Amino acid sequence: MESAFTYTESELIQGLKAKDQKVFSYLYDRYSPALYGVALKVLNDESNASDCLQEVFMKIWRNIDRYDESKGRLFTWMLNITRNTAIDTLRSKAHKMDQKIQDIGDDVHLYTGNLAVHPSVDHLGLSKVLEKLTKEQRIIIDLAYYKGCTQEEISKVLEIPLGTVKTRMRNAIIQLRNLLKLV
Amino acid sequence: MGATSYISSGIIEAYVSGLASSQEREELEAAMAQYPEVAAEYQSCQHDMEQYIIYQSVTPPATLKEKLFSQLDTEETARANGTYVDEDAIPETPVRKILVSSAWRWVAAASILLLAGSALLNYNLFTRYNDAQQKLEALAVSNSSLAAETNTYRTRLEQAEENLHIVQDPSMKTVKMPGTKPFPTALATVYWNQTSKEVFVMVNNLPQPAPDKQYQLWAIVDGKPVDMGVFETGTDAKIIQKMKSVNNAEMFAVTLEKKGGSPEPTLDQMYVAGKI
Repeated sequence: MESAFTYTESELIQGLKAKDQKVFSYLYDRYSPALYGVALKVLNDESNASDCLQEVFMKIWRNIDRYDESKGRLFTWMLNITRNTAIDTLRSKAHKMDQKIQDIGDDVHLYTGNLAVHPSVDHLGLSKVLEKLTKEQRIIIDLAYYKGCTQEEISKVLEIPLGTVKTRMRNAIIQLRNLLKLV
Repeated sequence: MGATSYISSGIIEAYVSGLASSQEREELEAAMAQYPEVAAEYQSCQHDMEQYIIYQSVTPPATLKEKLFSQLDTEETARANGTYVDEDAIPETPVRKILVSSAWRWVAAASILLLAGSALLNYNLFTRYNDAQQKLEALAVSNSSLAAETNTYRTRLEQAEENLHIVQDPSMKTVKMPGTKPFPTALATVYWNQTSKEVFVMVNNLPQPAPDKQYQLWAIVDGKPVDMGVFETGTDAKIIQKMKSVNNAEMFAVTLEKKGGSPEPTLDQMYVAGKI
């Protein structure tokens, strides 16, 4: 089912809204590694992440009519669905704060990365980026994005004052962006 | 807040990392609508965040695509048959936060305190209510016993007034009956109404008879004893007791007889006697 050609974003959206399964297949091939990467980082379990990804693509298929191009790119919309679905799964599994923290510590994907075999991913670029981010900068980004932690939770986990969470996040992302420019 | 301060406030970074509260998200969305440079900065930051996410891509298991399309086929067939049930709508907003705002936490804490306070108050009031109820019952009991006493006193008073009335009647003749030789301390009085011929007896001092005995009053008419009836003694007895009436008599006497009285007086048991 691998597609040999590419679509522009608007062709992709039109095809999806027309319930074209060929377009959907292309969408899967192109975006499933990125979305699976998110699910895996959130859930830290391949079986749960697979179930989650299947649910995510079904939601994309069913709800494509609700996607509003004026509010953001298709990929951003799909990422939001993936992150929300995965974090909902994480919470429904009654993960507590402690568990979240432990997950961060144990998470092999978080630091070493069972890194993608996807052609669009530049391994060297990633490792360069990650090397230059401090552990704390990675953790603060990952706790917020992948574990859905609130500012209060991050303040507790990292033992930093609540008022400095946003500043640290800003610094971490500025550092991340600077590193991405070098790749 | 101006565009520059928005950009440097950290709110954009909080937004793209999913850290922003719903209030902050709304603020930023409003700011993006107002300032194109804020919107541009957000786009750029979002793009870089996505780049970071893409860098962490992992190829999913090969079987997953088949499973997905098999589910999709099943669902599309159901949809075509009209048996498909639309599932939950996807939430468009970024991840909901678990933690409620601190204001609500204070409200919740205050509610719990209020509830606890109310429970304590209820317990106190209930205890006091029980005490009051018991006191009320005790008061009701003592009140009814007081009422009974009052009734007793009223009855006694009425009797006393009645007795006084009898005694005060101008046509009443008083016949004092002193003790006979065997019973010198005994004393009783007969009140005899000369108009109505009614006869009353008052015990001044007579010994309490055995349970099977009663005192009997006699009138001596033409030298013969006439039965005037039996009467009670003791604290429960009326002070002045009405006896049978007699038109004329020379003398009154009291003998101790078997309960209910005798047809003839037992003379050696005569306690008191008095001539008119």
